Amino acid sequence: MKVMVCLKQVPHQDARLDVNADGTWIQEDNIKFEINSYDTYAVEEALKLKDAGSADEVIVVSIGPDRVTQALRTALGMGADRAIHVNDDAAAGADALATAKILAAVAKEEGADLVFAGLMADDDNASAIPPMVAELLGFPSATGVLATDFSGDAVKVERELEGGALEVVELPKPCLIAIQSGANQVRYASLKGIMQAKKKPVDVKSLADLGVADSASAAQNKTKINKIYVPPKGDSAEILSGSTDEVVGQLVTKIKELGLL
Amino acid sequence: MGTVLVVAEIQKGAIREASFELVAAAQGIDGAEVNGLVIGSGVGDLANEFASKGAGKTYVVDDAAAENYNVDVWSKAIKAAAEASGADLILISNTPTGWDVAPRIAAGLDCAFTSDCIKASAGDGGYDFVRRVFNGKLDAEVSTTGKTVATMQPGAMAPFEGSSDGGTEALSADLSAGARFVEIKVAESTGVDLTKADVIVSGGRGVGDPEKFPEVIQPLADALGGAMGASRPVVDAGWLDHPYQVGSSGQIVAPKLYIAAGISGAIQHLVGMKASNFIVAINKDPDAPIFEVADVGVVADLFDIIPALTEAVGGAKG
Ligand SMILES: Cc1cc2nc3c(=O)[nH]c(=O)nc-3n(C[C@@H](O)[C@H](O)[C@H](O)COP(=O)(O)OP(=O)(O)OC[C@H]3O[C@@H](n4cnc5c(N)ncnc54)[C@H](O)[C@@H]3O)c2cc1C
Ligand SMILES: Cc1cc2nc3c(=O)[nH]c(=O)nc-3n(C[C@H](O)[C@H](O)[C@H](O)COP(=O)(O)OP(=O)(O)OC[C@H]3O[C@@H](n4cnc5c(N)ncnc54)[C@H](O)[C@@H]3O)c2cc1C
Repeated sequence: MKVMVCLKQVPHQDARLDVNADGTWIQEDNIKFEINSYDTYAVEEALKLKDAGSADEVIVVSIGPDRVTQALRTALGMGADRAIHVNDDAAAGADALATAKILAAVAKEEGADLVFAGLMADDDNASAIPPMVAELLGFPSATGVLATDFSGDAVKVERELEGGALEVVELPKPCLIAIQSGANQVRYASLKGIMQAKKKPVDVKSLADLGVADSASAAQNKTKINKIYVPPKGDSAEILSGSTDEVVGQLVTKIKELGLL
Repeated sequence: MGTVLVVAEIQKGAIREASFELVAAAQGIDGAEVNGLVIGSGVGDLANEFASKGAGKTYVVDDAAAENYNVDVWSKAIKAAAEASGADLILISNTPTGWDVAPRIAAGLDCAFTSDCIKASAGDGGYDFVRRVFNGKLDAEVSTTGKTVATMQPGAMAPFEGSSDGGTEALSADLSAGARFVEIKVAESTGVDLTKADVIVSGGRGVGDPEKFPEVIQPLADALGGAMGASRPVVDAGWLDHPYQVGSSGQIVAPKLYIAAGISGAIQHLVGMKASNFIVAINKDPDAPIFEVADVGVVADLFDIIPALTEAVGGAKG
């Protein structure tokens, strides 16, 4: 079984978020990037299948600029076999559907039997791409998945609903599964893994290589971000100021007023 | 432009409030004709209700195959209704159902898609939306071209209160599915019940270290006679068990006092605690969204404030 994992590199969760000069995205210079948290769980899920002998090959795929190589190397260090890096200026700022078309083209070219992705990306929070890729491939799909069972012919998954409920669904293969955070305990790349990863192949592809130059570039976006900004402040908190002792004193007064002391 | 299809969701035998919020969003779009869609088995009465409470002419896919949510059944039913109504905007709630099915429909129709929006309006050749990005730290203004599928954040607007008399129309569609519904599992109840606590002291990813929960967060909860809570990353990392999690996929709480330490204030956390009577937020980042729902904020390192507060509370009690 050939398993593909979609992996996005996103600004580090503690990165400073400044809006860029034209106000349409954040300033990406001089900030750290990391693998999207949801995708780390997806990589782990794929590697578990490899450990169990049910996956022959785990391929990680990312669309993005040069810096994305780092995220792919990390996944290779964790144990993925091979990486595909779609690096093409025409894909920069592509909307979710265009991005999904690129990922679907890779899955087709590779003949993937199973595609894993994260439930959402930590930057754009769109939760858009995985079901789109599935639809484009004609695969059944499930999102928000916390548990998988590959023991039968069909894959059995548990999707997180609200209020602690889970929905159990069976998907015939090939299929796509979008993983929710907390699905597993993610392994680290070991030193040995990192050394081995240096020898593993990272294929760099353009949109033309994948045959999607005319259908999946940012120039064809149907969805456009016009502006991003810090949300206007609403009815914000009263911010306490002063030394630690002064602030704590004010908090104790408030708690007393609430009748809790 | 201007025909909106609003997809209802049914929960515990009733149309959920979020679906009437979608109706409000659709009704708020200048010049829009609003159509509804109800999918399920034995849902004729609910379709009548939706049609009369603002959804206008409502399509109903009433079929045994739709008894439980199924991504393939829903995507086929919605596409059929979009075609029948000539909709150029399809609105779905950003719930587990919405984020599972809505992008599939957009890809199937090869049209524009945007998700988790808090505002929708008519645009130039499409629609305009406002959505939160970076876990609520920034807002984005997004516009679409042509036919559009969008999901709206539950709770972002008030449910529609008016009426309509569009009537219903039965719709049949090929509902064959690859995915197969098996069952719904409901979590067993556990010992920890945050919903009964008067005071909750919650720690987030900013606490940074599993040991700090018993060392720093729990003592303040104890000093105030309350309980300890947490945000999701803390639970995902295995630092605390799931019953401690506050939020949309954890517990919904409303104590007299909620102290959020090292929690940024993502919407999924906020929906779990914003009904608290008094909220104190402690965060290093002055722009953290948690300060928008807090009554009192402290911009500081939680490791300076919490231990000092624990001591002061102990002292105040005498
Ligand atoms: C400079 C800039 C400009 C932009 N302009 C626009 C714009 O005009 N319109 C617009 O709609 N969007 C724009 N975007 C955002 C767009 O690129 C989003 O990535 C896209 O909308 C999908 O959302 P998401 O990344 O949140 O994916 P989600 O659907 O939330 O991601 C879910 C999963 O899909 C997979 N995935 C997502 N992205 C990738 C990837 N690149 N490689 C591999 N796997 C991936 C991962 O598994 C991820 O966990 C812009 C981004 C940048 C950086
Ligand atoms: C479907 C779904 C369901 C979800 N359900 C839930 C849920 O039920 N509950 C939930 O909480 N989340 C839930 N989430 C996750 C949610 O989107 C956020 O990722 C999460 O709430 C962030 O947790 P956090 O605030 O602890 O971490 P972060 O967002 O990383 O914030 C950490 C904060 O700590 C601050 N900080 C760091 N160090 C210090 C210090 N020393 N002193 C003071 N402040 C400090 C930082 O400034 C930052 O604001 C869900 C997500 C999805 C997609």
